[in-house]
Amino acid sequence: MDITISNVIIEEGADNYKQTEVILRKLENVPIKRVEKNYPNKKDISVNMDKETLRLIDFKGEFFKPCPGTKGYICCGYHILNTGTNCPFNCSYCILQVYFNQPSLRVFVNLEHELDTVGHFLDLNHKKLFRIGTGEFTDSLALDHVTDWSKTLTRFVNAHKNVVLELKTKTDNINGLFSSSYRERIVVSWSMNSIAISAKEEHGATSIIKRLKAAKRCQEEGYIISFHFDPLIYFKDWKNGYLKTIELIDKYINLKKVIWISMGCIRYIPALKFIIRKRHHDTHILDGEFITGLDGKMRYFKPIRIEMYSFMKEFLDKLENNLGLYLCMESPEIWLKSFGWSPENSNGLSDYLNKRVNKLYKTNY
Amino acid sequence: MDSCEKLSEYNMDMKQITNRIDFFDIEKFNETPGPFCMSFGFDIQKIICSIEKVGLINIPYIKINENGYFDIVTGYRRIMALKTLKWESVPCIELTNSGLSDSDLLIFNLSDNLCTRRFNNIEKGMIINNLLLFFSIDEIYMHYMELLNITSSREIDILLKINRLSNTEKNIILTEAIPNKTIEYLLDLKESSRRMVLKWISDLKLNINQQIIFIEYINDISIKEEKDIPELLNEEIYLELIMEKKQSIPQKAKKFIDFLKARRLPILTKNEKAFHRQIAKLSLPKNVKIKHPPYFEGPDYLLEINFTDGMNLKKTISALEQIKGLATISDPWKEK
Repeated sequence: MDITISNVIIEEGADNYKQTEVILRKLENVPIKRVEKNYPNKKDISVNMDKETLRLIDFKGEFFKPCPGTKGYICCGYHILNTGTNCPFNCSYCILQVYFNQPSLRVFVNLEHELDTVGHFLDLNHKKLFRIGTGEFTDSLALDHVTDWSKTLTRFVNAHKNVVLELKTKTDNINGLFSSSYRERIVVSWSMNSIAISAKEEHGATSIIKRLKAAKRCQEEGYIISFHFDPLIYFKDWKNGYLKTIELIDKYINLKKVIWISMGCIRYIPALKFIIRKRHHDTHILDGEFITGLDGKMRYFKPIRIEMYSFMKEFLDKLENNLGLYLCMESPEIWLKSFGWSPENSNGLSDYLNKRVNKLYKTNY
Repeated sequence: MDSCEKLSEYNMDMKQITNRIDFFDIEKFNETPGPFCMSFGFDIQKIICSIEKVGLINIPYIKINENGYFDIVTGYRRIMALKTLKWESVPCIELTNSGLSDSDLLIFNLSDNLCTRRFNNIEKGMIINNLLLFFSIDEIYMHYMELLNITSSREIDILLKINRLSNTEKNIILTEAIPNKTIEYLLDLKESSRRMVLKWISDLKLNINQQIIFIEYINDISIKEEKDIPELLNEEIYLELIMEKKQSIPQKAKKFIDFLKARRLPILTKNEKAFHRQIAKLSLPKNVKIKHPPYFEGPDYLLEINFTDGMNLKKTISALEQIKGLATISDPWKEK
């Protein structure tokens, strides 16, 4: 993984937090600029998203919220912990290209301060299990060597027994995790794809093999891991492409210590297509047969999705009988036709995943 | 505040303008739109008729440029009409030594035009482009957006891009009244592709929805099949369609979009056709329709019965009950 940070912007208010000091100590020779809030906020996506600038922000928005899900499809019911936005990589399919109209790698330095409020809420709901992820709006580990979030967050999870934290990444930036003594209810998770798609479309991200080697090391260090085949991309040789990755998982990973593997075929809001075409001229990820889904997002035509999920399930099942396979944002009908069963709704899927937590961590939710 | 009041905020010293009319050699007027021009796509015949009938009522204003030729400040369309009418000289008021700067002269012409007409999108692009020679984009947002009836900074970007198109493309945009939404899609295409697409839009008189679908499909097909858009559109199947004489233009337009859809979404199209065949075999009563959900994405099929009264409804339901194949209706694709 090769991430360059050429300069640091400290927004007004960010200097008040210890986290800013921690980060600046790690970026000693990087030029710093102090600016007022939200300055300048215009991004020219046709050039770049200023991904070499780290912007430290005293964030005033929501830190903790349920995944909004999407109309007409089943959601896994996890919660988003917002540590920052944007990511150093340039994956052609990335939804963040259209979600955020602000440039730079944005780190919310007041997170630790805000965790008190989040923790209070979690304690008030101590009977409920919260599956929390930090990988919705950024890569959970890409900047960990600078932010040290893994230390802060593993400590936080240790103090709140009804929390499972999933750190989703496309990196092998795992050393920070090993300096933490907490392993319980920390799921380290990798985005998986076919090697060809990863090489062509996940610009700047760590290779699939290195991700798997990192996953193996995490297992050796006592972490439970998970994988997300999301987005699955339909291309000429997709079956062989994904099969190869499944074989690699089998080669590197102890499957008994995998909590879940999710799948989701590529989907996008229509506005993203414009941006993808502008930023990634050579991409073929939009070649498939997309139709407008029940939520207005573009998705592959139903039989294509069913074929892909069925294929993935068939071969993943061959590795291990129960890998906690689930579909991300799919309809009960697709579940049934590709998996042979359906959780019926988001609560059903939540229960299923909570049972996986209970099994792997010996909890009781 | 109306447009005249807004423009009056612009500080222009008009005192030095004399109203002396001189005659200027028509050969020395350049036909290329000059730095103050904001006219495109006008009907010159109307102006010719008017001049022939009542003469040149409004005197143009001009400025002599460094090369000794005349830049038209106001009256571009009138002078072009006079050229057609073969006038040898044109009565004008010269502003060369009026003390007015080029930015003053641009605003002078803008004020002259704003009071009498609306601008088309090509003209708006010309105006913004010329204003940017003298003013910052923020000043344009603040003072000129509303005057020009422009609603967003995004629209300004589109107008500026339109300004850079060729005159042929600009003419089609104007004649076919192509909306900004379509233009936005067009602007991402290569010039040769854009010209070809505009020609097809114009030849088949595609409506706005068809325009967008056409551009999306043809662009996707071009990328997927790694063929240029002109190469694709020159394929026999499309050329034959456009030459076809038995069908009306709207029929051809629909067929053209269907062709593209079948090529862009072959599995979906195949399944839609298979479904329609499946339903056709049932020989449903004429007042009954069975539809699949849009793109087959939702789980439910739809049964639609038109009926005149309760008796008619009961009769239809009884007839439906007799159709044995009804129970076989299913998704047209095969699953493992």
